[in-house]
Amino acid sequence: MEASSQQDDFIQAGLAAYGIEADEIELAVIRAAHEMFWPPILELLGMDTSAVEAEPGPDLSEAPSR
Amino acid sequence: MNEALDLSLRGQAAAIAAGEADAGELLEAALARIEERNPALNAVVETFPERSREMLAAAPAGPLHGVPVVIKDEWPLPWRAQRFGAAEMLAETAPGESGPYRALRDAGAVIVGVGNMHELGAGSTGSLSVYGPARNPWDADRCPGGSSSGPAAAVAARMVAGAIGADGIGSIRYPAAYCGLTGLKPTFGRAAMEGHHMAGVSTTIVSGPLCADAADARLLASVLFGEELQAGEPRGLRIGVVRDEVAEDVAPAVREACEGAIGELREATGGEVREIALPELAAATLATVLIANSESLGGITPQRLNDLDPELSPIGRGLLKYRVLLPATAVVKSQQLRTAARRRLAEVFADVDLIAWPTVPAAAPPLEAPLVELPSGTLTADQANVRGGALANLTGIPAVSVPVGSAAGLPVALQLQATWGRDELLLDAAEALERANGRRWVDALPPLARGAEPLEA
Repeated sequence: MEASSQQDDFIQAGLAAYGIEADEIELAVIRAAHEMFWPPILELLGMDTSAVEAEPGPDLSEAPSR
Repeated sequence: MNEALDLSLRGQAAAIAAGEADAGELLEAALARIEERNPALNAVVETFPERSREMLAAAPAGPLHGVPVVIKDEWPLPWRAQRFGAAEMLAETAPGESGPYRALRDAGAVIVGVGNMHELGAGSTGSLSVYGPARNPWDADRCPGGSSSGPAAAVAARMVAGAIGADGIGSIRYPAAYCGLTGLKPTFGRAAMEGHHMAGVSTTIVSGPLCADAADARLLASVLFGEELQAGEPRGLRIGVVRDEVAEDVAPAVREACEGAIGELREATGGEVREIALPELAAATLATVLIANSESLGGITPQRLNDLDPELSPIGRGLLKYRVLLPATAVVKSQQLRTAARRRLAEVFADVDLIAWPTVPAAAPPLEAPLVELPSGTLTADQANVRGGALANLTGIPAVSVPVGSAAGLPVALQLQATWGRDELLLDAAEALERANGRRWVDALPPLARGAEPLEA
């Protein structure tokens, strides 16, 4: 299956699963966004982040406590 | 026209305090100038002269007594709910006293207008808005930057000397860069945020000032922070630079100006330039986008998305619908990347005082097609700009955009970032840079503000 077809399937199926309607122009916008974001999202999903120790109650106004 | 209107923000405040300028006359002059210059720029989307006069009549003695300012369409006012540059917002809104409004009021400032912004805050160009786009005073066919497009254009055109924006992913710094202003993204949580429709939910958005120079930004930031930010003389600054696309995949004129400015700052402060590594930067940029977009999902239901106002742009509608398709696993991993990035920065800031790179990789693109040409090829301005703007929002550190040059008549800007709570150091460094270059860039005026004929709308 070609990548563009897979993308369309993901978008159409995802929206349909939520019961969200989109017209052709909106779909074109969604396809463009997906084309931009999906490759790096896949890279992110492939990263093993299990070694990142959680920052308990992070306070973004300050440096991390540890 | 009242001459005081062409003074700096601090100059206007000082002139009024000294009795050398009349606050009432200054207010009327600001309203007249908005009427004169705004049609070509669409920077100010609403004025309310009677409200402004009432605000002045009740203005207490304060650091901004009688000084006119503009506030972004992201903050509610007692007489006006924010519209967020959009035909419809997902959050409920109502008129009210936002934190920035209270801070301005208590400082004696007078809000003369609401500044345009990129629709839903979702763009770095200002090219899309329910009011129509704001335009760049340096070239009305160019983007003013976003999402705080109107506040930046209004200050650059000297309708007012200061404006309040908001920065969730670079939204103060991008328009400051495109319009040749000094824009501060404060440390997270330090500036007034109450009343924002995402207050308590967003972990990236802050309020902040857009002004001509660092001293004015310091004054306006002091008001937003509720504490006076002291000026200092930075010495021996250790300036961190990266060998990464954020510093290298930039237009040649931008790279030259920014590298030159870093050299000037090093020399002016007797400091040094140190190479640092931020290997997580690209992933951190994506993480910021995912976190910021997911935080706004609370008001979304499928029915709501199906019933979106048709006046909302197709881009706005499409992007809102796309947000529900973002995988939760990616958002969770983004939070882990945030943790890793914060720890990395804590280590880096043990070794350097500042991190410097171009605020945006190219000067303001055309409104018709907001694309930028970089060594790697053609990118949308949003794709390109987010590389440099996201880290500060992800981690909470402060950042400032400072004008440092010009490319084909358009401003070029350097971004400085510091460790948490050192907003003052950023402004000190920005002032040191202004002195080093003879204030050449902060005093530069676009044609519209030099007394040239108003631009055609």
